[in-house]
Amino acid sequence: MDLTPPPNDALNVPLLLESSEPRPRFAWGGYALVGFILVLFFSSLGRDDSLGSARIMQVFSVVLMLFVLAGLPVWSAFAVRALRDEQQQVEAVGELIQLRRWPQALLMLQAFLSRPARSARLRSQGLIYLGILLGRFHRFTDAVAVNTYLIDNDLVDPATAYGLRLGRTLAMLREDHLFDADRAISELRRLTAGGDSAGLALVQIYRDVKTGHPEDAIALFNDNLPILREQLGHRAADAYALVARAYDLLDRREEAALAFSRATCLAPSMELLRRYPELEKLVGRYTPAPAPAEAL
Amino acid sequence: MITAEAAIYRARRDLTLGLILKGILIAALLACLLIGPQGPRLILLAVVGGIWVSVNVASARGSRLAAASPSLIAAGQFEEAEQQIDEAVRAFSVFRNVKLQTLEYLAQLRHAQRQWKESALLCRAVLGHRPGSVRQRNKPCRLMLADALLEMNEVGGAWDAMNGLYAQRLSLSEVLHLLLLQLDYNARIGAWPHMFDQIAGKVQLAELMPAPAAARAQALLGLAAGRVGREDWLKWLRSRVELIGDVQKLCTDRPMLWELWRTDAPKE
Repeated sequence: MDLTPPPNDALNVPLLLESSEPRPRFAWGGYALVGFILVLFFSSLGRDDSLGSARIMQVFSVVLMLFVLAGLPVWSAFAVRALRDEQQQVEAVGELIQLRRWPQALLMLQAFLSRPARSARLRSQGLIYLGILLGRFHRFTDAVAVNTYLIDNDLVDPATAYGLRLGRTLAMLREDHLFDADRAISELRRLTAGGDSAGLALVQIYRDVKTGHPEDAIALFNDNLPILREQLGHRAADAYALVARAYDLLDRREEAALAFSRATCLAPSMELLRRYPELEKLVGRYTPAPAPAEAL
Repeated sequence: MITAEAAIYRARRDLTLGLILKGILIAALLACLLIGPQGPRLILLAVVGGIWVSVNVASARGSRLAAASPSLIAAGQFEEAEQQIDEAVRAFSVFRNVKLQTLEYLAQLRHAQRQWKESALLCRAVLGHRPGSVRQRNKPCRLMLADALLEMNEVGGAWDAMNGLYAQRLSLSEVLHLLLLQLDYNARIGAWPHMFDQIAGKVQLAELMPAPAAARAQALLGLAAGRVGREDWLKWLRSRVELIGDVQKLCTDRPMLWELWRTDAPKE
């Protein structure tokens, strides 16, 4: 796994935001419409003329009509194909991210964002992945900027915007922007009113661990454990690891050991440490869950 | 509530009518370009164009009607989805794609409602069309069909449905879905060594699934590990399942998994 942050010029965020902006495309549809009107015009021209000229106009109008009829589907097929290729490219980036092949995902995403996107939706998806990759390479300020750009310009639906706000708040916490993070958490709470959000619970647990409120982190964890398991799946490891740190801060060693064991049963300790540097003090002090040799 | 048979009948009828209508329109178009006096030809051309546009608008309306149903199904709003799909099934469309898409959505709805027989029937109806016309739907329909057949304990049919997927390029989400089906299928036929083969890779893929699917996949792998005598894997996978899944629900859905918690091996 390559954890080396890419050089700054490898991911020039303002440049990628600008270069990926969709550009107006050649209006083929308009030209086809004009062609169709021309067909009708030439057809009507041939009506009152001499027999020879009428025949020429008739043949010309038929050829033009066939050209328009055949050209439109061909053009549509090309346009659809180009759009599908772009969609596959973005989907491939998503898959590479899921498979944790970060450098390959980065290369592919850079190629995609370096030219105008064919659709605003695909560009937004690409930018969401850019935010994730920037976070992965510990460029949290840039990750916050990309997520803010997407949210402020209404480029994503409300559910996606909620996820981006969660990611942005985590990035703020990683950068120790605690005041901004606190404000972002209040905003998230307002948006979540009436619903359960494991993501928000996780962010709050992290904030409490980071700001030295381990009792609050433990209470939050216990209150939200069912939804943390249900909504986060294997990422529930993050919550177990953070609560292990909270127990450790209170010197409740047995509970810390159990939570750390559960966290490392779901995710390797190195991966947890990469996500949350605050866990460094747990590594070595507590034993990770035993795993089969082939699984390590 | 529209039945699968009625939806399939309507779709077939509309496709046949659509084919006839398209033939008539093309013949009329050629006729107005090639024969007859100029004035009536132009009028006929305008009429053909008008009919084509209105048919397209009606087809687009049918497509739009059903478009929101996948998100409604995902949100568990089955009644609303049923209503939308019902309207889309009844709406006339000349496009094969729109009709097949509606049948696929109905299959998804029945699948979510755990009406496996109806879901399987609809998937088979979609897959029964020319390969070219169902290219987009082939993989999701095959996966859904295999799933429905496994739930009905028709393992032979499930294998046939899965077998058609091995030669195709699958997306990651399709690979994950197929892996879960394979594990379920192999557990039913007792292919434990095959399940245990390359288990580390399978566990890594299972980690990418949503929590309930990840729990089921790892429980099935744990069962296979126990059957091939790998207690270390069994204990580890069982602990993971307990951390991310609801053991009671998991074992109610797949009673063979009780074995994982009946074992004499000490729990972690």
